[in-house]
Amino acid sequence: MSYWTILLAVEAAAEEGGGGLFDIDATLPLMAVQFLILVAILNAIFYKPLGQAIDGRDSYIRTNLTDARERLAKAEHLAKQYEQELAETRRQSQAVIAAAQADAQKIAATKIAEAQQEAQAQREQVQQELDQQKQAAMQSLEQQVDALSRQILEKLLGSSAVG
Amino acid sequence: MEMLNSLSAFTSFPLAELEVGQHLYWHIGNLKVHGQVFLTSWFVIGVLIIVSLLATRNLQRVPSGTQNLMEYALEFIRGLAKDQIGEKEYRPWVPFVGTLFLFIFVSNWSGALVPWKLIELPEGELAAPTSDINTTIAFALLTSLAYFYAGFSKKGLGYFGNYVQPVPFMLPFKIIEDFTKPLSLSFRLFGNILADELVVGVLVLLVPLFVPLPVMALGLFTSAIQALIFATLAAAYIGEAMEDHHGEGHEEH
Repeated sequence: MSYWTILLAVEAAAEEGGGGLFDIDATLPLMAVQFLILVAILNAIFYKPLGQAIDGRDSYIRTNLTDARERLAKAEHLAKQYEQELAETRRQSQAVIAAAQADAQKIAATKIAEAQQEAQAQREQVQQELDQQKQAAMQSLEQQVDALSRQILEKLLGSSAVG
Repeated sequence: MEMLNSLSAFTSFPLAELEVGQHLYWHIGNLKVHGQVFLTSWFVIGVLIIVSLLATRNLQRVPSGTQNLMEYALEFIRGLAKDQIGEKEYRPWVPFVGTLFLFIFVSNWSGALVPWKLIELPEGELAAPTSDINTTIAFALLTSLAYFYAGFSKKGLGYFGNYVQPVPFMLPFKIIEDFTKPLSLSFRLFGNILADELVVGVLVLLVPLFVPLPVMALGLFTSAIQALIFATLAAAYIGEAMEDHHGEGHEEH
């Protein structure tokens, strides 16, 4: 507040000199005109170009951002699609594998059954042959036994008794 | 002032002197103008124009240096105008409000930072243009004209409807407000800046070393705040004049 006293003193002192703190004169309108001119100049060289630069950058960033967002959405969509395809393929491959495994098992089972049948058949055949040979052997043996027993009889009773 | 001059006679420092209310008069026809105000205001205008030219000389998408600084300033001014006037209407008023802010801010800081007093004038001394009552009254009257223009251009004669909102008995107060607005605007700025310069001047006169520094720092702060207040209030008045008939008043600082 001290400057108010100074100010009053100045006012008193400046009465004759035409000066003073509250000396309002042509400075006021000239300053106003000068200020308006400054507004016009700054509008031309500062606010307009720099504002355009800022707005241009804003729109540039905005378009880039939406573009990038679109691309991101597309990429995410593609990734999802690929994942789905991948899952589908995996499921298919598993089905194929399962089918192949079932086929193989079936084939193996039939093969095994066939082989067993064949083996059975062969065993039976061999058995049959064996039996035949045994029978044949037995018959020849019996014939020999007959011949031998006749010879024995002849030797014992003489040939007249027999013949 | 004689008191202060006699005080300064006691001190042995010829640097410390204080002049108040003395002007360098220029005579244009039969008009008198304060030359020192115009000299410093031309300096301020020069600084603003040079910095603007530097900032816009080579506009880049990725700003740097002066362009970055001035874009920051412009964003700040736009934010200020947008807050006070509103998203829809603020754009045409950015140059006016922004120039008020920039001019007052650079003036105040030049008064606080540039050692004007070292330049000898035949009469008076150089100081911030805003420490002269003519400058501040000029700006305050321009602000008044600006908000009348804003109101009339937006609503035509319906602008007078503002005077009876929200209740008709507000009419006299609203009319008084039209006079107190420029008065308070101009005297607030003038008083703050002049007081700051005088306080610094008196302190330098009494203790010319280190002691005035905190006050000078405070002065820088006040100067910036005053520029902000002036621009904000101007924008607020313009916004108030243009707002629709169900707004509320704005606070005074």
